[in-house]
Amino acid sequence: MMPASNLLELHNISKSFGALTALRDLSFHIGPSEVVGLLGDNGAGKSTTVNLISGIYKPTSGYLSVDGQRTLFTCRSDSADAGIETIYQNTALVDSLSITRNIFMGRERTDVFGFLKQVEMRDIAMEVLEKAVHISGIDSPDKLVGDLSGGQKQAVAIARAVFFKRRVLLLDEPTSALSVRETEALLAQVLKLKAEGVSSVLVTHNLYHAYQVCDRFVIMSHGTKVFDVNKADTSISQLTEYVVLT
Amino acid sequence: MTDSAVPKSRTKKQSLLKQIMTMPAGAILLVFAALQIVCIAGALAYPDDFRYLSPQNLTILMKAIPVLGCLALGAGILMIAGEFDLSIGSVYTLTAVLMASLVDGGMSAFIAAPLGILLGVMIGLLNGTITLRFGLPSFIVTLGGLLFWRGAVLLYNGAVQVRFDPEPAFSSLFAGTLLGINAAFIWIMLFVAGFYLLLHRHKFGNHVFATGGNPAAATAIGINTDRVKLVAFAIAGGMAAVAGIIATARVGSVQPGQGAGLELQAIAACVIGGLSLRGGRGSIIGIFLGVMLIHTITDVLLLLRAPGFYLDMFIATLIVVAAAFNHLIERRGAA
Repeated sequence: MMPASNLLELHNISKSFGALTALRDLSFHIGPSEVVGLLGDNGAGKSTTVNLISGIYKPTSGYLSVDGQRTLFTCRSDSADAGIETIYQNTALVDSLSITRNIFMGRERTDVFGFLKQVEMRDIAMEVLEKAVHISGIDSPDKLVGDLSGGQKQAVAIARAVFFKRRVLLLDEPTSALSVRETEALLAQVLKLKAEGVSSVLVTHNLYHAYQVCDRFVIMSHGTKVFDVNKADTSISQLTEYVVLT
Repeated sequence: MTDSAVPKSRTKKQSLLKQIMTMPAGAILLVFAALQIVCIAGALAYPDDFRYLSPQNLTILMKAIPVLGCLALGAGILMIAGEFDLSIGSVYTLTAVLMASLVDGGMSAFIAAPLGILLGVMIGLLNGTITLRFGLPSFIVTLGGLLFWRGAVLLYNGAVQVRFDPEPAFSSLFAGTLLGINAAFIWIMLFVAGFYLLLHRHKFGNHVFATGGNPAAATAIGINTDRVKLVAFAIAGGMAAVAGIIATARVGSVQPGQGAGLELQAIAACVIGGLSLRGGRGSIIGIFLGVMLIHTITDVLLLLRAPGFYLDMFIATLIVVAAAFNHLIERRGAA
């Protein structure tokens, strides 16, 4: 892919909720095979940005472009079609169903009558869990998601995104509910996916986790971008300064 | 890499008993099997006093189970999708009255019965549409349905019994026997098998569980939860009508008051069978075992000549114990 063609661009996006302006003239981009840290203190507008990119909110003004094509996401599936998968803290999984069924939720493999190809789905789930997303403790795709830990649940959500060939993962505060071990595994996963050409946006408070894996940082404050810098050109202390002082 | 040394799992291998207990219908299966063993042992030891295995008693059981079974299957699928239908008892009566009076007016039962099912489906769709369009709790909407359709029966027919006199082919199809097995019982087995395939082996079933288990996740992944619920409402209404047909074919008449309380028994069977009142959990096998358990206990108490109120107290205890047990399992799952 040409470096000039960014996977996703936000152009002068503003979003108001009645009298409240959540986002003001926000522009940034996500390139191919790039891990971007979207940083900022509480109320900076990070969550609004995530919801906007995943198609839940529509911008009041401004627009998005995917592969250089101007577009607008009007619903969740628009963003999914563009190859974007959002992985929330409370991941969109159903506790009472197995890992396999969660991975294929809404995109089941079926025969012509709509009956599930259970063996095929189970084999794929097994393979994805073993190869693409390795998190210890998940030994069977038949386990109920309700029995998994927070990190394991995120691993399942990521496995789903990987299998369905997403190009951009939006990870909203992915590490806040995870153990140290799970955090390390997740960050390693993000880097591994980057090597395979999947970009990620890490939305987080935790500058250290972001610094560990991100190539570029976008710092938001009061609903707009205040800093956009490559990792090589900055340091943790400078990032902290921007998050705290702006 | 940090994960080269995989730590040993600290959860012990569970005993077989515990594994069965945590399966969706495992606990009820154990209770049901234990009860059967006790009953059969009792019947073998005292064949004259406790006629559990007598052909008459088995026939009574086989005739009784399908009616509640049909109601509970429909109500159960709807419960897994996260909604209730309290109107199924009234719909059961209304559709049976409609069918019987149409046949009384000269229509073939083979046409009247599908019309009854159609009416049941339409009422289910109406319940669903009102519930979803206005964002109301289905509990309230279908409570309204319960009273409304009960009144409609009296408006349409008055408080008199309706005779049901279909052609012999229809009677033998629903109330005859095949190889010594009651036709209605064969029907319910077919329904159990059909709904098992639909709920546990079909895409639609996966969507039902997702809709009831985590509506936000289901929507986020692109499942049309309203449509899933609407179909489930239609199934509940349609199965209520099927229950009405089976009951009417067996008895040969319809009493305008016969459905009262059946909706609660159906929901009770579902709860006993391991369904969560909050949706997303349960199984067809569990629902059917719940129905069988209610009828077995009823039957045993009748055989022991216990007064009727023991039955209510027994079922009541069973429901609460089952609900408490399910809740325990759910909490463990959510942790």
